[in-house]
Amino acid sequence: MEKLLIEGGKRLFGNVVISGAKNAAVAILPAAILSDEGICKIDNLPQIEDIYCLEKMLAEIGASIKKEGKDCIIIDPSGIKSHIATGEEVRKMRASYYLIGALLSKYGKAEVVFPGGCPIGVRPIDQHIKGFEALGAKVLIEHGIIKVYAEEGLKGSSIYLDVVSVGATINIMLAACKAKGTTIIENAAKEPHVVDVANFLNAMGANIKGAGTDVIKVTGVEHLKGCEYSVVPDQIEAGTYMIAAAATKGDVTLINVIPKHLESITAKLIEMGVDIEEGEDTIRVSCKDKTHGVNVKTLPYPGFPTDLQQPLSVLLSISEGRSIITENIWEARFKHVDELKRMGANIKVEGKIALIEGVEKLSGADVVATDLRAGAAMVIAGLVAEGYTTISSIRHIDRGYENIEDKLRGLGAEIKRIKTDEREFECD
Amino acid sequence: MTERHEGTMQYKFDMENNEKIKEILREVYEALKEKGYNPINQIVGYILSGDPTYITSYKNARAKIRKLERDEILEELLMSFIEEK
Repeated sequence: MEKLLIEGGKRLFGNVVISGAKNAAVAILPAAILSDEGICKIDNLPQIEDIYCLEKMLAEIGASIKKEGKDCIIIDPSGIKSHIATGEEVRKMRASYYLIGALLSKYGKAEVVFPGGCPIGVRPIDQHIKGFEALGAKVLIEHGIIKVYAEEGLKGSSIYLDVVSVGATINIMLAACKAKGTTIIENAAKEPHVVDVANFLNAMGANIKGAGTDVIKVTGVEHLKGCEYSVVPDQIEAGTYMIAAAATKGDVTLINVIPKHLESITAKLIEMGVDIEEGEDTIRVSCKDKTHGVNVKTLPYPGFPTDLQQPLSVLLSISEGRSIITENIWEARFKHVDELKRMGANIKVEGKIALIEGVEKLSGADVVATDLRAGAAMVIAGLVAEGYTTISSIRHIDRGYENIEDKLRGLGAEIKRIKTDEREFECD
Repeated sequence: MTERHEGTMQYKFDMENNEKIKEILREVYEALKEKGYNPINQIVGYILSGDPTYITSYKNARAKIRKLERDEILEELLMSFIEEK
């Protein structure tokens, strides 16, 4: 098993380049199979486990995947002969469900094994199913496999999402882009990665309007072609480094960001007493004094992202005074709190509320990354804690953060990956 | 006298601003076109949503359009349309 070993107490200084957005890339790769003619060349892809997993998944169903340089791949979907994706890789990650929308759009049918992902709460796919059914497909779940068939083809329809869902919004866009007629998605998610996927599909010849607003209009086209595309920068990775910079009282400039996407975290950090300077595609975060506690509620974009709640909780735990976090998106996103308590944090969780009383300092401990963003939180906690922290189950971190230890070392952190003989901790 | 002077100044500023908006829109349009996008769709998407993801970073187009307020862009587009009619 691999662990991260961190010697805390070093301030972070310097520049860090932010990678492409995981949450956009995991939808763009499946979307690439929709090309009827030509290849898709996709760059600024993050080098993370979820992307490697998707590449294998696409190769398993017959797509040709070629690496070109560090962060670019070329996908040729002409060899795909199957509408069935039930391999082991599919079970490993949540975003494999985008294969349903993509295969359904391409072949009028799809069979995909129920997706895996981080254990952060019940993650129903009912809104995806509602969308597919509205487009004329029949959905059947048997033996852990989602089977979707549209024998008479997909037809455009109006779909009102009962809850704002990024996954459902993207999956319906994928399914609808070659359907007959026009599909209207109301109460759609507005996240930057929804816009990025719509941009990618439009570059392939799709006709999608309104992405980034709560009403998206998809007019079906008959033919999609290959294209060249660059994935948008990762707002969550950027937010994580912003919090790490503030927590260590450092001075860090993030390069390759879209500051607009970071407004909610920027506003919260400023409220806490952190200095932020926005450039055109950079953000500088510096912090000299102790930060003060604030209240945070997670909400769909443009609200404060649930993915940054866990990292921010570390900063709040060493800020002056009391903070309240209200987690409105996922019901099991406070699993990291027990780990933070082992490091001396004073946090009480009651349902979807976490009450944090700021403490002077955290102390290093052996902790577990219970999920992806909890892992990022543990890394930040290790950076600010006194002494040494070891983090296990770092496979979660590798799923979503490119070269986290290299990037942090570049900023002056003492962090390294170590191998141990222990067995991997399995979270439920 | 003073009022007339201020009025003239304001008009001059607007003209400069309008020219700036037109110039930036043209540059962004060309950058999007060169990258193979439908420039009108992308610019409309940006104006509607405010999300810079719509605008390519190629030729610094994303940074350029962020210098403009979306309401100013809309005003300019509407003015041009009305004046043309």
